[in-house]
Amino acid sequence: MLRNYLKSARRTILKNKGVYGINIIGLSLGLASCLLILLFILDEVSYDSYHQKSEDIVRVVFKAEIGGEEISEAVVMPPVGPTLEKEFPEVLTAARLRKMNNPKLTYNNKNYGDFEFAYIDPEFLEVFDLKIIKGNNTNPLENPKAVIITEKQAERYFGTENPIGKNLSFEQWDKQFTVTAVIEEFPENSHFEFGVLASMEGYDYAKSTSWVNSDFHTYLLLKDGEQYKNLEAKLPGIMDKYMGPQIREAIGVSYSEFKDKNQVGLFLQPLTEIHLNPDFVSSGDLKPGMDIKYLYIFGAVAIFMLFIACINFMNLATAAASKRAKEVGIRKVLGSGQKQLVKQFLTESFLATIIAALLAILLVVLFLPTFNQLAGKSLQIIDLLQFSIVLTTMGLIVFVAFLAGGYPAFFLSSFKPVQVLKSRFASSGKSSLRNGLVVFQFIISAGLILATIVVYQQMAFIQNKDLGYHKDHILVIREAHLLGEQREAFKNQVLKDPRVTSISNSSFVPAGPTDISMSGVLLGGEYQRRMFIYNVDEAYIPTLGLDLVSGRNFSKEFGAERNRVVINETAARSLGFHKDPIGKTFTLDTEDGGRELNIIGLVKDFHFKSLHREIEPLILMNNPYGGLIIRINTADISTLLANIENQWQKFNIKEPFSYTFLDESFNRTYLREQKMGTILSIFTGLTIFVACMGLFGLVTFAAERRVREIGIRKVLGSSIPEIIALLSRDFIRLILISFLIAFPLGYFLMEQWLEDFAYRIEIKWWMFLLAAFLTTFIALMTIGFKSFKAASVNPIKSLRTE
Amino acid sequence: MIKITNLEKYYQTEEVQTIALNKLSFEVKEGEFAAIMGPSGCGKSTLLNILGLLDDPDGGSYLFNGIEVAGYNERKRAQLRKHNIGFVFQSFNLIDELSVFENVELPLIYTGVKPAERKERVHQVLEKMGIMHRRKHFPQQLSGGQQQRVAVARAVVNNPKLILADEPTGNLDSSNGNEVMDLLTELNEAGTTIIMVTHSEHDAKFSHRIIRMLDGQKVTENVLV
Ligand SMILES: Nc1ncnc2c1ncn2[C@@H]1O[C@H](COP(=O)(O)OP(=O)(O)OP(=O)(O)O)[C@@H](O)[C@H]1O
Ligand SMILES: [Mg+2]
Repeated sequence: MLRNYLKSARRTILKNKGVYGINIIGLSLGLASCLLILLFILDEVSYDSYHQKSEDIVRVVFKAEIGGEEISEAVVMPPVGPTLEKEFPEVLTAARLRKMNNPKLTYNNKNYGDFEFAYIDPEFLEVFDLKIIKGNNTNPLENPKAVIITEKQAERYFGTENPIGKNLSFEQWDKQFTVTAVIEEFPENSHFEFGVLASMEGYDYAKSTSWVNSDFHTYLLLKDGEQYKNLEAKLPGIMDKYMGPQIREAIGVSYSEFKDKNQVGLFLQPLTEIHLNPDFVSSGDLKPGMDIKYLYIFGAVAIFMLFIACINFMNLATAAASKRAKEVGIRKVLGSGQKQLVKQFLTESFLATIIAALLAILLVVLFLPTFNQLAGKSLQIIDLLQFSIVLTTMGLIVFVAFLAGGYPAFFLSSFKPVQVLKSRFASSGKSSLRNGLVVFQFIISAGLILATIVVYQQMAFIQNKDLGYHKDHILVIREAHLLGEQREAFKNQVLKDPRVTSISNSSFVPAGPTDISMSGVLLGGEYQRRMFIYNVDEAYIPTLGLDLVSGRNFSKEFGAERNRVVINETAARSLGFHKDPIGKTFTLDTEDGGRELNIIGLVKDFHFKSLHREIEPLILMNNPYGGLIIRINTADISTLLANIENQWQKFNIKEPFSYTFLDESFNRTYLREQKMGTILSIFTGLTIFVACMGLFGLVTFAAERRVREIGIRKVLGSSIPEIIALLSRDFIRLILISFLIAFPLGYFLMEQWLEDFAYRIEIKWWMFLLAAFLTTFIALMTIGFKSFKAASVNPIKSLRTE
Repeated sequence: MIKITNLEKYYQTEEVQTIALNKLSFEVKEGEFAAIMGPSGCGKSTLLNILGLLDDPDGGSYLFNGIEVAGYNERKRAQLRKHNIGFVFQSFNLIDELSVFENVELPLIYTGVKPAERKERVHQVLEKMGIMHRRKHFPQQLSGGQQQRVAVARAVVNNPKLILADEPTGNLDSSNGNEVMDLLTELNEAGTTIIMVTHSEHDAKFSHRIIRMLDGQKVTENVLV
């Protein structure tokens, strides 16, 4: 019996190549997109779950609001870990990690940079799964001088030699470590990515009992990870007990007084949620996380696409009913029951779906490398062979086959034979369900087009926003501090080149890797809030093109100017110096009891952080150190770079010359948005393509069904445009209806997305207009092509067949 | 009104060339009622399509009101057609989705008549054809005779100078057929030129002149009046 169904199904599919072609291609595109997005999402949610105890690990995070400044940090105070382990039996182990920036190590008289370094507690290895492949695999970090390195780093420093027992020295910190073990690289779906990990035992800061400085990523292994909220509820007590006494010492107010005005607290975050909740920033940032919104967006797009493909299937199969009604009538007259007919139709849709699924897998295999490149991932096809995915895919196929084939199957098989055989099958003309489905498709298409427009506008807005500084033609040499004493000489040599306009000595840059420094600020003896401190020289403001509103810049004429500062407008507002801050003073909170600072200049606010964040108060201090920021005035960058590198070499340091361009660093800050924007627009394009394929099919049917009517109208004098209008009118009406739903919905969702940006565009009426125009245009192209063909046929041809 | 000279039409199908019209010539004067007869496949419908400006001849000349229209493009033919010619078909060719009123109204829409005037004219002609009471019905709800009357109403609503009828009674019984022939005669008496293809000698007697065709050529011409 099944053989008969299959045979007949095969014949039907072959006979209706057009319809089934549209259905199968649409479905395979939908399924392929679904699978790709599924891979992407699975990878994103799998972060850090590879650790055996991942379910029971939490990270301690810090949230506070002090003096109006909201702080959320992934790092906490040094004693937090040990204290929680001691105080609470449900904490089995605490493990801390202290990331150090810009590490440089020396082995065998050779310098190495460009790796990630951190101190970790020996217990880190109990909590997390770090695979030791060589060396001491019981307790490699027991010794204060112990260091463990990854395979890649081992090969980099030691080649084929045995790394165990070798010494690595860090001159910048005056330390020497001995390699005790080699570990596997951290997997890509980990929020850690370290090359070298040293024992915390040898790090003095770790023994600090300060509850006012935060620097340590702290992880807890709990007895029962599910109960972490219970533990979290007890943390305020810990703060009172330990932080309370130190507050008075640090800022001179009692803890309760402090708590009246401000909020501070420790919170817990399950390990597996870290990657998708990247709200916690810290000076020693680990791998950047992923905004979960994107997962929702992509997931929705995948489901939409599948829906649209299914809708095509349903619509076209039902529309084909007018052609097949006679077949159904005859089958019924010959004694076929409704059940057999349903089976027949379902077999067809299953066959088509399975072909589509095979095609989809082929598409995934073909396009995975491209997708990886776009998404910045290294997803593997083999990842698809997980039991759960195979099962999901099979489930999806069954679901799609039933959804896509079910409706037409029941619809077609319920025809009354007399009705169909007697006259032309008329009822297929007005299917409100089919119209509803078309509207649904265009809600999605128009909504996605609107979303793409908004995303692109926001991206363009960021690219072109007046940042308050000039990001173009700026070269940053962060490594210049390696020149030590000779930096000045190097700088003067480079300045001789006429293509160099100016050079500032500072390690603080508004985009890309930068030093970060913050300090508490007091006014009239009262603690205000923390502010960013940029240590710069007198060339900083002109080099970056900052706008000095009032007062003056630092100047060599006035000597060192140690206690004079230039502040930005936000800092002036925050300090209450609205009118004229020049000449006013405030106090910087320092270890030795505070330092009085005199304001000499006011710079216009500039975006020294990403546009995701509001501009914060900033203090510029005349304290040059670190790297060099060079403004150039030439398009001929390569020869200039060659000259600078030449100078660099003359100073004979081991370190190779390295540099970044400020505008490139700036663009990299928005790389994620750009990638996501590109992926979104590709899937939007595909979705619209599939929707249009369906529309094309429907217009084809409409034209076929109305071929006689078109003929008559033409005989009576109708022109070709009038016929095209006749055929398109119904669809255009449906598309217009879909805007009524798509636009409010799209507006609402895109507002949500834009909220993420502190500096953002407003959604304007012309974006809706453009989206409406594009959608209508695309649909009209689809409809118009077919309609034109139908309208151009000589009417005597269509009337002759009567 | 119509003058064709050496009109030719070929159909090329799979290496066989059919000569549908073979150097056909005749003339129909304004106000005449001509019948065209001949065996099946002799080219009657082909001729009517050309006369009705639905199709283009492959050779010869076709003067419509003294203007050469052979070689007109589709747009020009349509323009001329919708103002001057009405059609009546054997199979009625009404649009099922439109009501009687809407079917009859169509030619007026295509010639750009204003809605108010359209309504008046449609009502007038429906009245004349005796189907006013059926104006809200759909074609499927009417008998064959009624449908053909709607088709005639549609053909004349624009006051065309020429009506082309291709076996207008072919699908009707004799009493319904006679009614339609009476209608055509009335129209002719009111001044409309009519060219009708028919297989029925009975119907042909309503005309002034019978043109007999064979294999795309005119064989005889009998003048009845
Ligand atoms: N589109 C076409 N393609 C090929 N041949 C055609 C076409 N239309 C008509 N013919 C041929 O041209 C010839 C004339 O056809 P036509 O329809 O004019 O005959 P007719 O006199 O109207 O016949 P009937 O009385 O049966 O309606 C026939 O041989 C027919 O087969
Ligand atoms: Mg004929």
